[in-house]
Amino acid sequence: MNQPLRIALTGNPNSGKTTLFNKLTGSNEQVGNWAGVTVEPIFARMRKRYTAKDVDVFDLPGTYSISPYSPEEALARQAILGQSYDVIINIADGANLSRSLFFATQLLEIGRPIVIALNKADILKQRGDEVDLAFLSRELGVPIVPIQASKAIGLDDLIRSAKAQAGTSRAITEPLHDEERRRMIDELIDRSMIRSHDPLKQTLSDRLDRFFIHPIIGLISFFLIMWAVYAFAIEGLGGRLSDWINERLFGEMAPLFVEILMNRYGLSPVLGSFLNQAVIGGVGAVLGFIPIIMLLFFLLSLLEDSGYMSRVAVLMDKYFKRIGLSGKSIIPMIVGSGCAVPGVMATRTIENVDQRRITAMLTPFVPCSAKLPVIALISVAFFPRSSWVGPSTYVLAIVIIVLGGLLLKKIFRNTDESHFIVELPEYRLPSFSQALGRMWDQAKAFVYKASTIIFVMSVLIWILQAFDFSGLTDDPSTSFLAMLSGRLSFLLIPLGLAGWQLVTALLTGFIAKENVVGTLAVLLAAGSSEALGTGILADYFNPVTAYAYLLLNLFTPPCVAAIAALKKELREPRWVWRTLIFQLSVGYLMAMIVSQLGSLIVYRQLLASWWIALIILIVYVVIIVYMINRRPTHAD
Amino acid sequence: MLLSTCHSGTTGVIKKIHGDDKIKRFLFSLGCAEGDQLALISVLGGNYIVGIKDSRYALDKSLAGKIELIAPQRHGRLG
Repeated sequence: MNQPLRIALTGNPNSGKTTLFNKLTGSNEQVGNWAGVTVEPIFARMRKRYTAKDVDVFDLPGTYSISPYSPEEALARQAILGQSYDVIINIADGANLSRSLFFATQLLEIGRPIVIALNKADILKQRGDEVDLAFLSRELGVPIVPIQASKAIGLDDLIRSAKAQAGTSRAITEPLHDEERRRMIDELIDRSMIRSHDPLKQTLSDRLDRFFIHPIIGLISFFLIMWAVYAFAIEGLGGRLSDWINERLFGEMAPLFVEILMNRYGLSPVLGSFLNQAVIGGVGAVLGFIPIIMLLFFLLSLLEDSGYMSRVAVLMDKYFKRIGLSGKSIIPMIVGSGCAVPGVMATRTIENVDQRRITAMLTPFVPCSAKLPVIALISVAFFPRSSWVGPSTYVLAIVIIVLGGLLLKKIFRNTDESHFIVELPEYRLPSFSQALGRMWDQAKAFVYKASTIIFVMSVLIWILQAFDFSGLTDDPSTSFLAMLSGRLSFLLIPLGLAGWQLVTALLTGFIAKENVVGTLAVLLAAGSSEALGTGILADYFNPVTAYAYLLLNLFTPPCVAAIAALKKELREPRWVWRTLIFQLSVGYLMAMIVSQLGSLIVYRQLLASWWIALIILIVYVVIIVYMINRRPTHAD
Repeated sequence: MLLSTCHSGTTGVIKKIHGDDKIKRFLFSLGCAEGDQLALISVLGGNYIVGIKDSRYALDKSLAGKIELIAPQRHGRLG
């Protein structure tokens, strides 16, 4: 049997491994101009234009050294020392050759076949520096191929060279001592490189940094940039396109089409209502958000590629430290505003274990793109003339992150001292084609999700609400679903909410947040999310309880995919439990407080369940005070 | 002189790195160890932007306080 050749890509963070990977395999993996974009080994088959035979390419997380500093570096080390690759391509960053060679020379000693790709050869040229690659290659005893991964230059040579190395064997050599290695590299660089630029001289990036990392100007520009991204994607162009799809396509055209099918072609009414409720109502209500999601990911991708993210980390470090986090915690949160799964995974670049855990616990509070349909549903139905609902969820997310951080810091004390250091890559013009590729991938993934998970859930919900023990029923309140969800509806009493439908929607939301909209659409028998607002929802909510229900959906634990990501990052089961309990408590308490206080303030009326809410609140306060004051245990 | 007490525009050679082994090893892999050249590009809101080899890094004040320079020279703004 012919096994495919396996090539592993290694190198320093931000040296361009994933860019090379995407070019070689035609993938659209997330690249970004900051250290630590790839936190997990990924692999894909190489494109046929580079090879006639089957070749698998593995993209490993970046590392500065074979002895790891952060967990994602440890992963790279494990992968490299494992025997599962036929040849290693080590990407040396032309923008910092000496640092790259530190890691490269460590790799040479482990005795695996290897080729060095000198990436960003253009930056060297731009700076006016020259490297004698033939000399370097001879001295190190390894082929060196100059490439420019972003423009796919030099890749044929690289692959040819890698294939030639694959069969060969290298001797394992005694590892050099760190100091000796450094001396050897300094000498090599001296002899092989002609520098005409002074690396310590001011650059354009340095001047931009004075602006973007400035404690006041930098902060203002950060808020303006983020506001512009979300405003354009969610309210601006993205919002308008999405409105059009929701109102015209799924609100008018699709139901009309079903009506025609029923009237002209004799489609059975049961099937008609199935199409209207489960397919158009459930899936359609969610699909309308595709323009927003595409634009959001497009803009975030541009931002990530520009080099700006590490600056934000520096800017935020001061503030995040006070709540027990690191400046690097901001990156998972921004990424998490697209999707919590990569957001949670991005926490791996944080070295300090306490900061990493707490960041992972807090990241899912940032409203992700899947929560947008839920926000839109409530805001259109109950607050049609006000624009504060969407932004308020982001503000509340920030408040919860600050308070949650403070609380978690108090409960799970920070043990070891932490330092903050982050590389500031040169700013660059973000690649449009890369952002388009990512946007396209997200769109495909979203349509896939809508046509699988959300479709199946909507159908399942429709069936469960249409049948009871005696068969098809006209009264959903006697259905299987009402029976199942009804058992849990007592949980909503302290929130001033009633109705098994709301429980069902909440529960399906844990599978995927978009399901909340789909489920409500199916259960409350409306054509689309827009039609939902016109009266049916008002039977279940007033504006105050609707907002409370929204918060309940947003701030309780995220979807199962994000919980799985949390489980992977937190590793220990007890941390997963702590996270879930913490998130459940936050979402529930917020909804409860908003509902109770809101009713009192807005309607000057106490809810009937006020005393239950008060008891719950007191119990929580007692537990929290106890946890803050208990003696720290060694296990934590 | 500790890096945390230097002004922007200072260059110097590293005399000693204080602190635990882990952070020393990490800084070493970046090319930041005894005898290496370092430039303090700017100090912005308590963050120290430094040039080490061909790259830029931002350090917080506590880390900057662990890097000791020999005879730092101040050039005003570099370049």
